[in-house]
Amino acid sequence: MTARRSRIARQTLVFAGLLALFAAAFVVSLCVGRFSVPAGRALELIWLGITDPTRELGAIDERIVLLVRAPRVVLAALAGAGLALSGAALQGVFRNPLVSPDILGISQGAAFGGALGIMLGIWGLPLIGMVFVSGLVALILVGMLSRVNGRTETVTVILCGLVVSSMFSAVVSLLQFVADPNTSLPAIVYWLMGSFATATWERTLIAAPGLIIGGVLLWMLRFRLNILSLDEAEAQSLGANTTRERWLVFGLIAVIVGSQVAVSGIIGWIGIVIPHAARLLVGHDHRALLPAAVVLGAGFMVIIDTLARTATAAEIPLGVITALVGAPIFAVLLRNHYRERHAS
Amino acid sequence: MVPLTRFISRSLLAAAFSTLLVHGAGADEIVFKDQENREVKLAKAAERIVSIVIPMASTVIALDGSTRKLVGMNPTAKSAVMEGILGKIFPEARDIPSDVTAPNFVPNVEALTATNPDLVIQWGGRGNDIVAPITNAGLNAMLILYGTEELTREYMAITAKALGKPERIAELVEWRDKVQKDIEAKTKAIPEDKRPSVLYVGRALSDISASGTKGNYNAWYIELVGGKNASSGLNGTVSINKEQIAEWDPEVIFLNAFEAKLDVSWVYNDPILSLTKAAKNKRVYKMPLGGYRWDPPNQESPLSWMWSANLIQPDLFKYDLRSEMKTYYKMLYNYELTDADIDGILWVKEQGDAANYAQFGEK
Amino acid sequence: MIGLDNATVRFGTRTIIDGLSFSVPVGRTMAILGPNGRGKTTTLKAMLGFQPLNAGRRIAPEIVGYVPQTGTGNQRYRGIDIAVMGRAAHLGLFGQPGSADFEIARSALERAGAARFADHYFDRLSGGERQLVLLARALATGSEALVLDEPAAALDLHNQERLLNLLNALRQPRDRAIVFTTHDPNHALTAADDALLMMPGGQPLFGPVSETITPEHLEHLYGVPMRVVELAGPSGETHRAVLPAFAGTRAA
Repeated sequence: MTARRSRIARQTLVFAGLLALFAAAFVVSLCVGRFSVPAGRALELIWLGITDPTRELGAIDERIVLLVRAPRVVLAALAGAGLALSGAALQGVFRNPLVSPDILGISQGAAFGGALGIMLGIWGLPLIGMVFVSGLVALILVGMLSRVNGRTETVTVILCGLVVSSMFSAVVSLLQFVADPNTSLPAIVYWLMGSFATATWERTLIAAPGLIIGGVLLWMLRFRLNILSLDEAEAQSLGANTTRERWLVFGLIAVIVGSQVAVSGIIGWIGIVIPHAARLLVGHDHRALLPAAVVLGAGFMVIIDTLARTATAAEIPLGVITALVGAPIFAVLLRNHYRERHAS
Repeated sequence: MVPLTRFISRSLLAAAFSTLLVHGAGADEIVFKDQENREVKLAKAAERIVSIVIPMASTVIALDGSTRKLVGMNPTAKSAVMEGILGKIFPEARDIPSDVTAPNFVPNVEALTATNPDLVIQWGGRGNDIVAPITNAGLNAMLILYGTEELTREYMAITAKALGKPERIAELVEWRDKVQKDIEAKTKAIPEDKRPSVLYVGRALSDISASGTKGNYNAWYIELVGGKNASSGLNGTVSINKEQIAEWDPEVIFLNAFEAKLDVSWVYNDPILSLTKAAKNKRVYKMPLGGYRWDPPNQESPLSWMWSANLIQPDLFKYDLRSEMKTYYKMLYNYELTDADIDGILWVKEQGDAANYAQFGEK
Repeated sequence: MIGLDNATVRFGTRTIIDGLSFSVPVGRTMAILGPNGRGKTTTLKAMLGFQPLNAGRRIAPEIVGYVPQTGTGNQRYRGIDIAVMGRAAHLGLFGQPGSADFEIARSALERAGAARFADHYFDRLSGGERQLVLLARALATGSEALVLDEPAAALDLHNQERLLNLLNALRQPRDRAIVFTTHDPNHALTAADDALLMMPGGQPLFGPVSETITPEHLEHLYGVPMRVVELAGPSGETHRAVLPAFAGTRAA
């Protein structure tokens, strides 16, 4: 009993720490930027923004904090949370800690929709719609290809995901090949590298429903994910319709990743590094893992994006930072992971 | 930058040298060095030119005064030609093939060979991969370099020579030189604090890009006409955010002519950008689109400088841009510009109510 | 009740089980015996519904308490978290286990003799310990049918005895149908009422232990001479035991 109590105490402590970290990252991020707004003034503005959200925004510092930074930080937090959550769920369902949302072809499919949209000169809501739909199309393709004789094997899904991914990335390359080097090509390239630089409340509100609904439904499935993380036969014996439920999870992930890619391009590494780190902190049980991944992913993304927009006068592409920070972290996590496995 | 006098004497020397060669070698042979210092040998003046380089297509048309010698161009150049005034002046440009290259400058050798070109103009300094296909097909490649006014004059001179019209370049370069000196004489004495900061926005609709000063043509003419580059702290052309623009708070904003859907409302409708000095003083302008886009160096650059000068230092410069345009479109394209043409090139309808823009309206 | 009715399973041209029928009603325990490759595992999978039938019918309740040999080992869950998974079918897609479910899981761990593993990580347990936790999970399903895949295969003799005692303890209340596969006929003698012998030639033999676990049938089943001996137990009662009369050990 004491073991359980100390475990619960530890977990409470971990969650409190994660939440504090996220809150700190969130507030600090709102207070820093290329345009200097004193931290005290920024905090005051945030307070005003929360208590009186409809008020007229006049001064430039108000607009910077409440119209530029706030939507960007909120979007980064939502996107980071969504990606980490998707990664955690996917790794559970595939019983493989090395998979990430890219594996299902969703990211590349969404990238294709975006690249095509940019090339056709489509902006705003229709562009986001295209991204979203093409991400889903990629997922459906993977689903149809991997279904052999009415059955879908996990390995086949991964392989078909790879196939569909390479197919879509080839088409994206083709689009880049024919894109106008003066206008659409740099736009496509920049967008593929991932950025929150174009965040506005409008874009945040467009992405938010998909991220939040997909996220909440995945969170509601947290116990079911424990079941789905078991061997096929065991999961079925416990009453799970594994094939159908897996596709439900994939569909929710497509909604989350599609929404994220639509407004901020392809952001790698979050979906694989964060779930790993979260697992180290709270264990594998999805009931604890998912919320931990959400908070950690949101905080991490906010910190990365704050670096991207403040470190230099130029925006640093997010993909560059997430890879630079994520890859070494991942290497360390992976080594620890296997060292531990060998030790046990 | 190499002083112009030296440049001109060098090109004259080169011209003299090639004249000597004409006597030494075959009847009409033309030999010259391109900007990658490769020797280019033509049996006679080029009759069939392909420009893979985007702005050079319209330059070739201007140098020749016709579209006859341009037999292939970049699809992006073609769309610029067809969207701009050249499509009206030379409707036959519509039929010039643009399948000779992908927009990213990788040539389609078969389509390229099919146009039977005697000279292919390609970018230098971007690796051999985009050059080798041309030379491997046994075609004559001429490589040019992008960036500065000096390089522009040099490659225009080489091209004129390849066209067998070295005399044509003199008037074009002379014009550039005259306008540049005229502007320089007036702006040299302007103290730093009287130079408005000008932000040239290279891309706006997907992400926002701006450039540092070194090697950047837009920054060069902004400084030439008495402004200062608001984004001089950057290194090369990079993505920036609106917060950064607010921090710079530029006094003048120039929007690129590349993005067709971009206009000044992009600034005025933005909650942040609309609070910059430029927006408050209505000093936001989209670059004109004439024979080519006026942002990068091209045959019409002096007109672009005059436009910028009148807007950046309105008290100092009173160029009569409309009549200058008429004069030089006649010289460049042998075309009589109508007032409607000018209004279209300068976006008078779209941004006629901007500060200091009334001067460009029809009198 | 759990069983098969005239079930046939083919892999390509090979018929693994052919018109197999048996049923285990609530209150009885059946052992499936046979050498490797005779379709023991296929029969088990068919009963559990993992193996589609080419012909015939599966008789089973909606949820069958299934105890796999080892269980998934690459996820780090605690014993109690594994046991409570047995409640999944009662909770539905979006349901979460509540305190009542944890109470059921805890008592299932106790019944399976695995209470001490509640807060241990499953992947850190030994094969035998894992099996007990998996048994607890199967019990937590509340199913009237319990199917164990080679429950004794990985155990030493001492643990085999503990497992058989456990099986008998579960069998005692006669409130569920239990099926297990095994290599050892003695397990059937100790803990089963009925036996299904996967005979060569595809004609399985199904019947009460007393009729099926005989030297003749077992010799036919394994192709090894068998002896049945009577042993006196610690409190005077006699047990039957089966011994293979391997050529090298005939002296015994």
